[in-house]
Amino acid sequence: MKIKPWSGYRKYAEAAYLNLKAQLAWRADVIFNMLFTISKILFAFLLWGIIFQQKEVVAGFTFHGMLSYYIISSFLSQLEMSGGISEEIFWRIRNGTFTNYVVLPINTEGYFIAMEAGVVLFYLAFDFLAAVIWIFLFRIRFVFTGEPLILICAVVMVLLGLLFMVELNYYLGILTLKYQEISTFLMIKNNLISLVTGTIVPLALFPEGIVRLMRYLPFYYVTYLPSMLLTGRCRQEALSGILILAGWCAFLQVVITVTWNSYRRKYDGVGI
Amino acid sequence: MRKRWKKNFRVLRELMRIRFQGLMMFQLGFFGPFFVDGSLFVVQLMVFRIVYSNVERIGSWGEGEMILFIGTFSLINAVGMVVYFFGIRQLPEKIKKGELDLYLTKPVSPLLRLTFEKINPGSIPLVFMSLCIIGYGVSKMGITPGAGKVLAYLGWVIMMTLLHYDMMVLIRCVCFYLVTNARMEQLEDAALELCMKLPGIAFYGIWRVIFCFFLPYGIMATLPVQSMSGEMGIRLALQGAAVTAVFTILTVLVWKGGVRHYNSASS
Repeated sequence: MKIKPWSGYRKYAEAAYLNLKAQLAWRADVIFNMLFTISKILFAFLLWGIIFQQKEVVAGFTFHGMLSYYIISSFLSQLEMSGGISEEIFWRIRNGTFTNYVVLPINTEGYFIAMEAGVVLFYLAFDFLAAVIWIFLFRIRFVFTGEPLILICAVVMVLLGLLFMVELNYYLGILTLKYQEISTFLMIKNNLISLVTGTIVPLALFPEGIVRLMRYLPFYYVTYLPSMLLTGRCRQEALSGILILAGWCAFLQVVITVTWNSYRRKYDGVGI
Repeated sequence: MRKRWKKNFRVLRELMRIRFQGLMMFQLGFFGPFFVDGSLFVVQLMVFRIVYSNVERIGSWGEGEMILFIGTFSLINAVGMVVYFFGIRQLPEKIKKGELDLYLTKPVSPLLRLTFEKINPGSIPLVFMSLCIIGYGVSKMGITPGAGKVLAYLGWVIMMTLLHYDMMVLIRCVCFYLVTNARMEQLEDAALELCMKLPGIAFYGIWRVIFCFFLPYGIMATLPVQSMSGEMGIRLALQGAAVTAVFTILTVLVWKGGVRHYNSASS
């Protein structure tokens, strides 16, 4: 019998492809999501524009360096669309339709990872296009790293960051099995994530003690560090960042497995 | 006229009683909006604390003015959350499903009922939190405002809350004419998110025109702060009053036109 080593992954690839295709049904959403990325860039342009009138350098950033950071971090935060996973799981468990995922001949978490991969692949080109448009519209002298090794490290970190966020949101979603009402917590989480990932202001502006502490947390590596690497800063943290983030991904996977195994029996498929 | 007010008051009292009964059924979510919006404004405060640890001023504003700005936006938002947010938010759904029929056939203004039927007492702590932020902002500004300034500030907060309400209703009235207002709500979210982070003093050129006149979220917390800090001239005050008046009149006209255009479930 001929063994097909990749056959197990084909169903995940198919799930990713289906979700990629599903995005085509929401063409207006794509266009508007793309257009509304301007609010983040506009915030940075106006806020830092008025600040840099009085100072030439803030926390090591020039005006154009700062805007380059915001262009990249905005691009990465737009790609990170896993917040919907926890909400999807929450509502499905609440109304008893989570069964639709449980009965699939596919690992549920794997399905959500594949789903996220499909969505990210679809939005990648559009978000990139939006970033290029904003660079020209706001006349930003874009700062970007010229080192291929740093570029590779940043890409690996972005992928690990996306995986970590999917895992985190999947974990929060399955907590509904035990705690039932987590929607408030999910909304608070969204507010905090934007701060700790450095999408509102770069973490370099935080006090040194807090930044040191945040280096041990995964959020530092999801958007902030890749953006800094891609704008040619914090090179020395590239490798350690990948290792720390990979460690967090592995740790969260263990937590998910333990949580799923102990809570899945609580799901009765009739809703709450 | 007096009779009408009396009737409206009785309706409001009854709506509040029903609402409290409903909320008690889901006690866990009672303070949810407080925690969600509270965390949002705490994050805002932290962001500007961090920014001000690196710069002394943003334009003409020091940290005190910015804290007052955040507190004021939080207060306008909190009043909206307590009084009308959850009621007006359901307008598009009511129009789409034809449920507005039930409002039009009742002997009370449908907009009045929609505005007050989902009051949310769980957000009241957010009002107190906002007042604390405002107090902190004023003390940080190093001023002791007299009664005149406090009254002017309160007057602007009331006007800007009315403007916030106008915008909410206007955006949702689109559903009287179109199948969906999802894009308008997306625009509202994006503009609100931007303007609660960025005071109106930062806008210039085309952005000032957009966010101070067409989508006037940019003036909502800025004008009360400017009245408190003494930055507000007569021209600015007239502009703010004119924008509020225009949007209020527009809201009334669009609402009345929308109700006339409403075709029950088929609209």
